[in-house]
Amino acid sequence: MSLLSTKAFSFLKNAVTSPYIRALSVTSKLNIKELREYKEGNKLIIEGVSLPSPRSELLVRAEKIPDLVPTKDSENSLCYLCKLDLDVKHTDVLILSQFVRSDGCMLPRRITGLCRMQQKKVGRMVTMAQKAGLLINLTPSFCKKDPKKRYGYKKFNTYYDEKTIFWKRIPNQNDRFKR
Amino acid sequence: MSAAKRVQQWATFARTWHVFDCKWQDPYQSANLIKKYLLGLHKPIYHPMNDCGDVVVCVNSRDIALRGDEWRKRAYFHHTGYPGGASWTLAWEVHNKDPTMIIKKAVYRAMKGNLQRRHTMQRLFIYPGEEIPDDVKQNVTNQIRQLRLVPTRLDHIPEEEVQKFPKVMDYPSDYVLK
Ligand SMILES: [Zn+2]
Repeated sequence: MSLLSTKAFSFLKNAVTSPYIRALSVTSKLNIKELREYKEGNKLIIEGVSLPSPRSELLVRAEKIPDLVPTKDSENSLCYLCKLDLDVKHTDVLILSQFVRSDGCMLPRRITGLCRMQQKKVGRMVTMAQKAGLLINLTPSFCKKDPKKRYGYKKFNTYYDEKTIFWKRIPNQNDRFKR
Repeated sequence: MSAAKRVQQWATFARTWHVFDCKWQDPYQSANLIKKYLLGLHKPIYHPMNDCGDVVVCVNSRDIALRGDEWRKRAYFHHTGYPGGASWTLAWEVHNKDPTMIIKKAVYRAMKGNLQRRHTMQRLFIYPGEEIPDDVKQNVTNQIRQLRLVPTRLDHIPEEEVQKFPKVMDYPSDYVLK
């Protein structure tokens, strides 16, 4: 009861004292690429600017490649990465770094636009590349930025096998000695 | 015997010195490769009773790469001979202690177990870093090709090359860059 009363009180207080907070832009909430923040006098102006994507010119799509033979599956069901039919390894950092944020976190599926399988595959490969220390500049700010300074077994080089991504159960090597 | 034949005879029975760079190589896979050169299995004159093995110099053994979680899952067994003298050491602990031991044990295990193996192992030189003593270096005439490609870190690629690289993924129009 006391909790309810404090909640109601805080709601009323907020409604009375604080200014009404609304969405940043008056026009369409979409089409924002960059949030700009600057001061003009004693006013803080936050502005959402729609910009062209820097990747548009360099974009590779299967439809643009004339030599690529389309696979037998219905084309609509495939995502852009399946259509390209690339053999991506976890060491291909130039491709994997396109799917991560600046802190090295994998982007969600609604942004990458991949199918379920590819999203899982790319996500696992990003994890592999991070653990192998290949994406060391795409890490949170508190990271030491040197794989050799990691703790314990993590400071040594590790490589991964992409076949293990879709294994149901990765066999434990110690099970060989079980009877 | 003509001079040409004599030189051919020398070249056939002389020991060749090979160098192998262990950087980002799996020691258990490269042990099978090193073994062939140590025993002389790559030569057409090979015979078990024929002492035709070569010398292999392994460099950068500190930078070997193990697969997946093997650094913390692979254990090395040792027994002192006394009751309760068994001990299991994890691979990363062994590598901390001696960066040459994992590749040495891997090559030793890859070979068939007879007494000749001890003498064959004498022909394997392992160095944790890039530096080789000069008396070893002046003999080296061949390099063994690495099994795995050495991966490139993203921060070692120049910035404009990363920008110019063809892109697969494009952001949706409502995405705020972070
Ligand atoms: Zn797909």
